[in-house]
Amino acid sequence: MLSEKETTIIALEEDVVEFTETKPTPPAPKKEAKSVDVKDVKIAAKKTAPRTSKKELTMLAKAASEFAKKMLAPNREENDKYPFGPFFEDALEKAFGVDFFHIILPEDMNGMNQGMSALSVTLDNICQEDSSLGGILFTNAAAQELMIQAGSKAELERICSKETVRDFLIALPVFNNPSEVKHLAQAKKTGDAYTLSGSLEYMVLGDLAGQAIIPASIAGSTRYSYFLVDLKDKGISKSEPILSLGLHACPAVDLELNHVKATLIGQEGKGSDYFEKMADRLHVAAASMALGVMKGSFKEAFDYAKKREQGGHEIINWSEVKMILSNMAIKISNAEMIIEKACKAVDTLEAKWETRSRAAALHIQDMACDLTTDGIQLLGGVGYMKDFGQEKRFRDAKHIQALLGITPIKKITFIENMI
Amino acid sequence: MVAHAQRSPFDHAPCFEDMTSSLQSTARQPKGMLKETREVVALARKFKEEVMRPITLSMDRQMQKDPEYLPWEFVRKANEWGFYTLWVPRIFGGKGYNSPSMSYFLEELGSECLGLSNLIGVHYLAVVTMFATFNIRLINKLLREVEDGQKTGIPCLLSLAITEPGAGTDVEEVELVDKGNVGCQATKVEGGYLINGSKIFISSGHVSRWHIVICYEDLKNPSDTMLVLPVKTGSKGFSFGRKEHKMGVKICPASELNFEDCFVPDDLVLMNKEQNQKNRRNNKQTNSQMIDYVVSTSRAGVSAWGTGAARGAFENALDFAINTEVNGKRLVNHEWAQAMLAEMYKNVAISRLSYVETNYANGLCGLYKTIQFKPLFYYFKIVPKIVIDYIIRPIINLPVTTWVFRKIQLDGQTDAQFHRTSGWASLAKFTGTDAGVKNCQMALEIMGQAGLRQDRRAEKILRDSKLLQIYEGTNQLNRINLFKCLAAQGHSQVRVFEHE
Repeated sequence: MLSEKETTIIALEEDVVEFTETKPTPPAPKKEAKSVDVKDVKIAAKKTAPRTSKKELTMLAKAASEFAKKMLAPNREENDKYPFGPFFEDALEKAFGVDFFHIILPEDMNGMNQGMSALSVTLDNICQEDSSLGGILFTNAAAQELMIQAGSKAELERICSKETVRDFLIALPVFNNPSEVKHLAQAKKTGDAYTLSGSLEYMVLGDLAGQAIIPASIAGSTRYSYFLVDLKDKGISKSEPILSLGLHACPAVDLELNHVKATLIGQEGKGSDYFEKMADRLHVAAASMALGVMKGSFKEAFDYAKKREQGGHEIINWSEVKMILSNMAIKISNAEMIIEKACKAVDTLEAKWETRSRAAALHIQDMACDLTTDGIQLLGGVGYMKDFGQEKRFRDAKHIQALLGITPIKKITFIENMI
Repeated sequence: MVAHAQRSPFDHAPCFEDMTSSLQSTARQPKGMLKETREVVALARKFKEEVMRPITLSMDRQMQKDPEYLPWEFVRKANEWGFYTLWVPRIFGGKGYNSPSMSYFLEELGSECLGLSNLIGVHYLAVVTMFATFNIRLINKLLREVEDGQKTGIPCLLSLAITEPGAGTDVEEVELVDKGNVGCQATKVEGGYLINGSKIFISSGHVSRWHIVICYEDLKNPSDTMLVLPVKTGSKGFSFGRKEHKMGVKICPASELNFEDCFVPDDLVLMNKEQNQKNRRNNKQTNSQMIDYVVSTSRAGVSAWGTGAARGAFENALDFAINTEVNGKRLVNHEWAQAMLAEMYKNVAISRLSYVETNYANGLCGLYKTIQFKPLFYYFKIVPKIVIDYIIRPIINLPVTTWVFRKIQLDGQTDAQFHRTSGWASLAKFTGTDAGVKNCQMALEIMGQAGLRQDRRAEKILRDSKLLQIYEGTNQLNRINLFKCLAAQGHSQVRVFEHE
């Protein structure tokens, strides 16, 4: 009889096979069976942790890339219509099935026990096609990391044993640093139990996830704490999905809380510490999302420039177009180097690893906003239309820049940490 | 030595006239323009508050939900307020407000919603194109329908149809069009022309009654065979194609227009080679001049929209900064935020100056030259309607009137003058529109999570403003045009649009 864990792995492998079979290209020769190797990555990953070998990263990158091309790219325009179109449930479930949501979880939680290199390479490849799923992966990873930092192992273990993706997901207001702008609920302590009341803006995955992590202040305390709540609690009312700039299929809602039963994460008043520790690690993952968007934008612009004619020639032959493309390629090349270095620093806890991670995000997110503007420009009018991916990447890049707080304040914090 | 001494200090670039349009205008410009502009700004602010603000976000949301929606209700409202005739000269049935005041108007409305503002502004893009042909009889004919549209409450909007599936930038520049892949052809037949082909991205197409179509008799020689033909919605052989699904400016439709043996009679030809034979310049040069007349004014308008977007973003960010506490104190009292907001304010102010200077140039030596000539300006203000109807209108319909206007405006304009207006318009266009996008990006950075939400408006302004960097010639094309018209003047070695 198979153990529960082995059964899960087999189930995941079936999932992998299922979408490998629908691949239109002929199967690769056996020796190079690297088409969708998530299962291999999963097994290989279990042998080493937390740092992932280059080979394993390559395999994971390929798996994420093929997943994105097969499951996300064909329906990008349709998926982006959410909340006015259907949600990409199928893609979400498949991503869950192939363990993209388990990358940073420890082995005893059925996780891959990988570091930021593995998460980053996955986000990079996913976001090349559609960063909405990247946003879901990121938010969930940030929530998991926050719980890990707070030492809420038992709660995390309980969540990670959930069998469906919606039950498994954890919502988090991942665009706000509660120390900066105090979007906080109010917590009331009765004995050892807590209840939350009040409102909370922009809870990412609030209408998808089974539970949410909520920052709240306890009366009499100047510092905030994090709490876990069940999103099915009758005391929670949710707004319609918020119509936002980008990441349409990574939806957020506003929450109203009325005496909602809550579980403290970590210790009282330590919310800010947990957030900053989480942010130290996750910033580089946010940078990787931006890199993925940049790569997608460059590829579409480059391909278009080779086909579209203007002034009697393919536009790629005009030197101003070459200059713009070159600037895009240079940004990407630099971003790749920065992220590789920053991921290594984070995973090996090199000196100043926190600085590396945050600097990478601030710089690369900024570059992504500039690059995706040019990405539209090179396509001209069609770049502004929904039929192509460039306008979505432009919106997504700006959206991604807002992850983990207000950008100028992140910069101020960066230097304050050095003073 | 002697030769050197005889050289004028004004032989050097930059040309003194190019630097001083506003200074030259101070004495020449009718004083009444200031009063009128104040009225226009007041009207725009009232309209913005009463009509636009209540629907700006809901319309954008509606369009995301149902991209096929057409904004007839708003168009009727703008028609009721008289905006489709406000800048039409009184002799053509309009209210005759001075054209530069429209830029201020567009900035005001653009600071609230570029989409709704486009539904008014692009009508004048087509109006300006008609004016650039100086075919006074036909201008009068079509604008009288616009006037009737206002009187009857059934709006009569005009659109300009120039962009084609195979040619965007190319059709904006006569020097490129011969190398481009144009496909909208007019074939001469007895009594008129048959148009075949398609136009795309035509702003307000689906809600316009007349479409001013730029097409070509010989697709291999478009620069020398260009025609300007008006086509009425409902004409045989004319149909609407798809309505584009855009990132922003959603409420203003970007339409595909299809022509299949669509007949336009000879007496509706606004401009063609035959008419241009009477001009000083050859046909190709006249076509280039005509396009420059259009873009010299329309790009000032787009610059005003960019300024409006930059202003909307600034106002949004300022409001957020005033009302949000960050790290224990109001965001607006953080020095870094003050510096960013000051930078945004500067972007607005510089952009405004750029379109204002362009309009001064247009008043001195561009499209507004005749109408801003003081005696005519005041005469057209005070002339009784009965005189217009019984004396001026019959004169307008005489061929000699068109001939006179073309002599003054087309033959009377020097190359240096149209380079000045065209160069400044390009400068204003990319200055204003780059500022619009830049300020939106800064606003979103300042606002963080709040800036991402559609119901907070900043993200909508960003989506809208991006279009401005593309239409009316991409900002890349406009940089080259500025280089050609102003930056490289006096250097005979310079060649632009040459393949490398």
